Order: sequence, then C-alpha cells, then structure tokens
Amino acid sequence: MSAVPGSPISNLRRFGPVNWMGLFTLMQREARRGLQDYNYQILGPVVSSLLYLAVFHLALRTTGTADSNADLLNFIAPGLIIFVACEKAFECAAGSFIFDKHERIIADLLMAPLSPAERVLGYLGGCCLAGSAVGLAVALVTLFFADLSLHSVGTLIFFGLMGTMLHALIGILVGIWAEKWDSFAAVHTFLLLPLSFLSGLFYRVENLPEAGQALVRFNPVFYVIDGFRFSLTGTGSANPMTGAGILLAVNTVLFALTYVWFRRGYRLKP
Amino acid sequence: MQHSPSNLAPRHYGAINWIGLYTLYRKEVRRFLAVGTQTVLAPMVTTLLFLAVFVLAMGHAVDLVGGVPYMEFLAPGLIMMAMTQNAFANTSSSLMIAKIQGNIVDLLMPPLTAFEITLGLALGGLTRGIVVGLATAAAIWIFVPLHLSHVWAMVFYAAMASLMLAQLGVVAGIYAEKFDHMAAVTNFIITPLAFLSGTFYSTERLPDFGRLLAHLNPFFYMIDGFRYGLIGHADGSLLLGAVTLIAVNLALLVANYLSFERGSRMKP
Repeated sequence: MSAVPGSPISNLRRFGPVNWMGLFTLMQREARRGLQDYNYQILGPVVSSLLYLAVFHLALRTTGTADSNADLLNFIAPGLIIFVACEKAFECAAGSFIFDKHERIIADLLMAPLSPAERVLGYLGGCCLAGSAVGLAVALVTLFFADLSLHSVGTLIFFGLMGTMLHALIGILVGIWAEKWDSFAAVHTFLLLPLSFLSGLFYRVENLPEAGQALVRFNPVFYVIDGFRFSLTGTGSANPMTGAGILLAVNTVLFALTYVWFRRGYRLKP
Repeated sequence: MQHSPSNLAPRHYGAINWIGLYTLYRKEVRRFLAVGTQTVLAPMVTTLLFLAVFVLAMGHAVDLVGGVPYMEFLAPGLIMMAMTQNAFANTSSSLMIAKIQGNIVDLLMPPLTAFEITLGLALGGLTRGIVVGLATAAAIWIFVPLHLSHVWAMVFYAAMASLMLAQLGVVAGIYAEKFDHMAAVTNFIITPLAFLSGTFYSTERLPDFGRLLAHLNPFFYMIDGFRYGLIGHADGSLLLGAVTLIAVNLALLVANYLSFERGSRMKP
C-alpha cells in the first residue's frame, strides 16, 4: 500500500456500521479459548454432571423412594445441562478478562478497531457458544440416563441463550471489576453457586418453605432453569412467559451496563 | 569482620531440623489463613448448600438411613468431604504454584531433608483439613444435631483422612506441570472417589457388586469411620478401615519421601 504523505487520513481502513471481521475474530478467539483444552473444559463438566446424577440416583435408591426415582432424574437432568452451560459461560468471560489483565495483553482488545458494542457482542457470542457446546456435550451423555423429550425447540433455544447470556454478562462485569482470581472465586462461590443451587436445580421449588418460594421468584437463575426444564419436559413451576420477560429485562440492563463500562474504559484504560 | 576457619564450618542439626520443619509448616498454614474467605468460608457455604439441596430434593419421604434421619446421616459425610477436598487443595496448589512461579527453589534450597519437606507439607494440609472440618461442623450444627458418640473415632478418622488427602495432594502437585493437569486429577480422580464413597447414601443398600466396588474405595473408610464417630453406625468394618488408612498413609509417605529425595519433576 502506498502511503500518501500529508494525507494519512485517506489511508485509514474503513468499516461499515459494524466491523464484522473484528467482531467475528473476537468471538472466535473467546469460544476457542473457552474450549481449547477439551480434556478438562468439556470432559470435566460432563464427568461432574454424571456424578451428580449418579449420587442422586443412588441416594434415592437406597432411601426407599425408588418409585419417584426416574421422575427425579428426568427433573434434574435438564437443570444440570443448563447449569453446566451457564457455569462455562461465566468462567469463559470472567476468566478471559482476569487472565488478560494479569498478563497485560488486555491492550490487544483495547487497541483493536472495535466499537464498545462490538466488544460486548464479541465476548458475549464467544462465551455463549462455549457454554452451549459444553451444555450440548452434557446433554448427549445425560440422554443415556434420563428420558428427555424435546417439548419445544423455540423455548429451548431462547432459555439456553438467555441463561448463558446472563452468566456471560455477569462474567464480563466481574472480569472487568476483579483484580485478582480471588474475586472471581468469591463471586462464583458466594453468589452464582447459591443462586443456581437454591433455585430449583435439584429439587422442586414447591418443596421450599413459603418464604423461600416467594424469594426464589426474585432470582433470575430460577427462571433460566425453570424455563429450560419446561422446554425439555413440558412442565415448570413458573409461567415461561413471565420468565422470558424477566430474563429479557435483566439481560438488557446488564448489556447496557457492560456497554457503558466498555465505552468509558472502566478499570481497563488508565 | 574476620572469620576464623572454625566459624565457617557448616551448621549442624540434630536428627531433625526442627526450626526448618516448623517454619515450613507455619508457611503452609499461613498461606491458607491469609485467604480465609476462599479456604475456610467458601467450603462452609458450599457444604451448607449441599445439605440444603439434598434435604430439599429428598423431601420428607425419606425413611431412616443407618438408624438415623437422612440429615444426620448426611452431615458427617459432608464435613468429611470438605475436610478432604481442602487438605488436598492445600498441598497440591502450594506445590503447583511454586513450580509455575519458580519459587519451588525456596523449598529445595533450605537445609531440609526430603523427609522434613514431606512432613511439613503434609502437616500443613492436615491442619487445613481440620480447620475446615471444625468450621463446617460448626455451621452444620446450627441445622443438624451432631451427637459425638465416639470421639476417638471421629478424631482418628478426621486426622487420617486429612493426612491421606494432603499426601495425595503432594503426589498430584509433584506430578502436575500445568493447571490443566491438576484440574484433570481433581475432576477425574479425587471428586469421583469422594462423591461415590457413600457420603450421600448408605452402601448397605447397594446391590452386591456395587457394595464391593464401594468397599474398594479408600474414601469409603474415611467417611464410614468418621460417621461412626458421630452417629455410632458404620456400614463397613472399622478395623479394616483403620488398617487401610494407616497403610495408605505410610505408602504415600514413602512415595513422597522418594520423590523429594530424587527431586523428580522439581530438580533439573
């Protein structure tokens, strides 16, 4: 390319309204990063999901409630699939930022000709993809043990997407905010794990005391798990439309916040 | 300052370099206490979550397990799981991070024998296991009555189990060269052994083959013996459990001693 002295502006590359190539590259990088070591990034979650299933199966079998056993496995399996996908989406987004900040290669992201919206979308797309891939792997293995039927493809995709998006967005925010791996671990153990475990992942929320049943309605993860389970079993504890509305609202708010943070360069730019 | 030749003679220790051993032990303990939120509080929260989830999932339809309500059966297993996972994490992460950051030399250079290194690390892991055990037990006690029927069994099995996992952590820490290796060991060996050890269910009611498999798992004896200490009921033989745990611990001690003596995967 011949540089024209005096008019460097004319040599700038121009993109349309969206830098598709950049967006796609960022997305690809994030997805590959989240899955590159399949030995533990995919196999690990598969093994732990199988362990959860085995433990619940054996616990029920040996305590004399075998009649409801098959029901419970079918109940837990969809929850596990979406739980694992969400965990991966969070880990992928948050881990990526903290790692890049520690290694001081976050500049590679800030220097690239990407608008804030493209950055959010790039991370979001890549991490949702990684989460879905892990969820799919778990789903395939669970099919051997649980009897799942596809009740509605639309809601399956919708709630799968909303769940991984929610966790990826939280992951991006945590990744931008956190300076150390400790904060990452703390958010995971003290916030996300309780939100998932106490939102009907392994039990019907109808088993909760009344105060718990009321509280759980404020937990967005509850709607993710419940909606996803609805799409695989046809039954749910909450109205899927309510869940969809709440998740859309929460995700929009988080997306806007992430956008603003990127735009301001909060904690990323000096 | 002038040194006479006699001042330049090497320092001598007795059979054991007590100061060195104690310093290594103290470093290992302070290492986890410095991040107590992650190393003590986090296992407490996770254990309570597991308790809540299992109790809610099993509902009220559950009858007695091992002669006690399901919750009281589950509690000792959960405490033991927290203890062992943390004992393992302490030694394995300590070695792993030291290797990755290169400060493993600080462990290899001081005048410590292979035996003292092994012991210092293992005792550090043991301490973390016991501290986490006490913390989780205190948290669980709020919700579940704990009986302490046989204190000797409780103490013996808690110590043996933490020591065993701490030593397994040393093995893993020496073997692993990347975090991926460590994640693989945790995901594919330690967690399955811990989950399938009878923490959540009584092996008595498994089919014959399943019971045989469960009884081949050393983790089973730790949980079974510890549970005997709390609720006075054991699924397997206590004597066999005690012998197995002592034997495994001795074997691991020798193996780790040899690894440090040879410096495998640590010295060039």
